[in-house]
This record gives sequence, C-alpha cells and structure tokens, in this order.
Amino acid sequence: MKTITKNLVLFSLVLIILTILLRYALSFSLQNQHFNSVWLIAVLYGLIVFVFGWIFGKRDNESLPLYDIGFRFHVATYFICNVIAELWYLLELQSDYEKIKVVHLTVLFWGIGLFIHFIFYLNTRKNVIKGLKKSEIFE
Amino acid sequence: MTSTNQLSELLTAWEETYKKGQLTLWIFLSLKDGQKYVDEIKTFVEEESNYTMTSESQSLYRNLRKFQHLGVVDYKSGEGNKGPDRKYYFLTDLGRSLLDSFIERNINLFFNERIKNLINKEI
Repeated sequence: MKTITKNLVLFSLVLIILTILLRYALSFSLQNQHFNSVWLIAVLYGLIVFVFGWIFGKRDNESLPLYDIGFRFHVATYFICNVIAELWYLLELQSDYEKIKVVHLTVLFWGIGLFIHFIFYLNTRKNVIKGLKKSEIFE
Repeated sequence: MTSTNQLSELLTAWEETYKKGQLTLWIFLSLKDGQKYVDEIKTFVEEESNYTMTSESQSLYRNLRKFQHLGVVDYKSGEGNKGPDRKYYFLTDLGRSLLDSFIERNINLFFNERIKNLINKEI
C-alpha cells in the first residue's frame, strides 16, 4: 500500500517548520517571562497546523482516497512534534522554565492516543483493498 | 402529473441509479479497445454510450489513479500535441482478467437467448 504520498510529505515539511518556530517562540517567550503570550502562541500554532492538515488531507484524498481515518497524518504529526521537542532539549535550546519531563509525558500520553487510533485503523483494514475502501473503488 | 411526465421522471430516476458504477465498465471497455489518453477515453465513453454517460476529466483522472494504484490500469508516456507528454493508459493483465470476469458474470447474461427475446419482445 502506498503510504507516503506527496501531500503527506508537504504537510510534514510545513509541520517541521511550524514546530521549530513554535519551540523557538515558546522558549523565547518563557525565557523573557512573557508568560501570557505562551497561550496565544500555542493556540495559534494549533490552529495553523489544523488548517494545513485540513488542506493537505483534503488534497491527498482528492488525489488518491486512501481510507486510513487520518492515521498516516497522525503518525507524521506525532513523530515530528515529539522528535523536534526532544531534540530541542537535547540541543539545550529550551528556556529555564521548561522541563524535559513534560516532553516525555507528552510522548507517553499522545503515544497511548496514537495506539488507540492504530487499533481503529486496523479495524478499517478489512474494508479495504490496497488502502482503498472497497465500496468507493468502483463508484 | 401527466403519464408522459411521470414516465420521464421515473426513467431519469432509474437511469441515475443504473449509471452509478457503470463508468468503470465504460473506462475499461475504452481501454480494451486500445490504449488511450484521458480525452480519448472521455470521447469513447460519451460516443459509445450515445451520450447517456458523461464524465468530467477530473473524475476520469481520479478513477484512473485509483485503478493504477490497484494495478488494474497502468500508463506510459507518449508525445502530446505540441504540449507536454500525455499519459496513455492501458489495462494490465489483472485489469483484463477483471474485465473479462465481470463481463462473463454480469454482461453475458443479457446475451442469453431467452433474455434477448424478452428484451426485444413488445409488451
């Protein structure tokens, strides 16, 4: 099954850039004690990622309607966000107010969410042929 | 409502349902006729179906991408008219077997003598 599509790659590239910008903005704001702006940055990041996910996801479906209930995009988002967060600490770019424990906990709890998504994804496999929903192949 | 209007409405409603899923058969038939690029497939489908089937190029591309992904259709690039290369689609071995099996199980029924007579019989 084709899993890595052009739109998934483009979404991942945009997400990498956005996530690096987020980490920089968060660490910068915290280090300079602009605590109120942290919420704004996080919400803005969430909204922008959602919009890009929507756009690239829609294009991806129009190009080839792989029936994966968003699992591929979720996996990409999980790895990009968490690898960048872990690297941020590894490279010691974080502010004095950020704790590595929060990143590890995010990996853990989000990972549990991702695993549950995976179970649902596996459940869809009986209705597909090469990733395409049987009922939509010859519509 | 006059009976002519009712007939027309019922016929349209039946045809709308009947045509769903038929595009695949027409696409495959056009490719059985020989490799074609999208505009040629579109023309074949429309002309050979007496314009009862119409399809947008976008819809054809989407379907062809799905069929290619499934391995029933493939393409090779060929020269276009002045512009960029065209994708000439053709049925793969799997596609030909699929079409033959489908025709044998679902289309050949209509060539059975009894059914042919019933279709031609005036009520």
